[in-house]
Amino acid sequence: MSGDAAPLALPLSRLSAGASEATNLYRELQKPLLRYLVCLGLSSDEAQDVVQDAFLTLHRHLSSGGSQENIRGWLFRVAHNQARNRQKRYDRNFSAASDAELDAVSHEATPERAVLEKEKFQQLGKAMRSLTASERECLLLRASGLRYREIGEVLGIATSTVSDTVDRAIKKLAEKCNV
Amino acid sequence: MCEFSGRLIAWLDRELPAEEAAEVERHLGDCAECQAGAEAFRRVSGEISEYCNAVLASSVRNVSPQWWKPVALGTGAVAALIALFLAMPRTHVAPPEFHAPQVKMAVPRAVAAAAPAPAISVQRVHRRQIVVPASVREPNAASAQNQNVYLLPDEPMIQIAIPADEMFPPGAVPEGMHFVADMTIAPDGSAERLQMQPRLAGFERRTTQP
Repeated sequence: MSGDAAPLALPLSRLSAGASEATNLYRELQKPLLRYLVCLGLSSDEAQDVVQDAFLTLHRHLSSGGSQENIRGWLFRVAHNQARNRQKRYDRNFSAASDAELDAVSHEATPERAVLEKEKFQQLGKAMRSLTASERECLLLRASGLRYREIGEVLGIATSTVSDTVDRAIKKLAEKCNV
Repeated sequence: MCEFSGRLIAWLDRELPAEEAAEVERHLGDCAECQAGAEAFRRVSGEISEYCNAVLASSVRNVSPQWWKPVALGTGAVAALIALFLAMPRTHVAPPEFHAPQVKMAVPRAVAAAAPAPAISVQRVHRRQIVVPASVREPNAASAQNQNVYLLPDEPMIQIAIPADEMFPPGAVPEGMHFVADMTIAPDGSAERLQMQPRLAGFERRTTQP
């Protein structure tokens, strides 16, 4: 699977081993969660709040003897639902994040390469915004390292639907970005 | 379009069953179109991941402490106000010329009816004096000329004794109260200082005539 090389199966049993293990899990999943929420259109502060709430909910879930199966998918589902609740609360629609101030990610990029990367990101961001919300969410969750089954659990859709949606979205982007 | 193109992305994501994945891999060895498609889809997937990282980095950078912005704005506004104040044209405003007030004193009604001599006495002296009208100090005296004069250290001034009845309504001040106005005259003839001091005739009588 493309995207982050995050482990597909976390050692869930370690969660009950102690707080230090939970801290390790937080370190491992904080950035993918933040990235997904920010790319959904949340501000950095909102995304931080949602991630903290998600881990607080996870703590309660585990403290109450909840299932430890697929904690990563569970966290993404909680974070996604909280982001949706914020969307309803503030009557705001998710959209791909603005790429007006996007710069090259690699620090050693030459000025010419930085300009090319910025143009590429702007083109890709424009193409992302042209996708449907479902296509965009599927792609972002896929880029976060989730399997189709996990994406289906987060979004509440069938795995086959996720496969078709991802296939359609990738082909749209490839066509719009002339890849 | 090749019939395998719909399974290329799932194959890239390793979402196909093992048998189906093997079939796609065999097909890729023979199909240049699917090879190019798979490469394009892999590249797009990588760019999406880079784009997401750039969005996150940009978001974190944009929430770096922005406290200096309001501070700079406030400082600039204060500096602009100070500069505006300093740049405003100024005109020297001279203080108004001082003119010594001219005091017109009315003759007390009671004194004017009782005797032609004014109850308010004005004397130019070369020694500081306290002047008590005879009509107050000695109510039955016929003339205001009989006044006790207490000499004080040398100080050229004019002293004016004014009965309180002439300045306040009847009953507002104790009976026998009057005021002594000490007026200092400057060398050029203008009034330099005017000070009113109350005097109670009964108190003076008790202390000076036990």
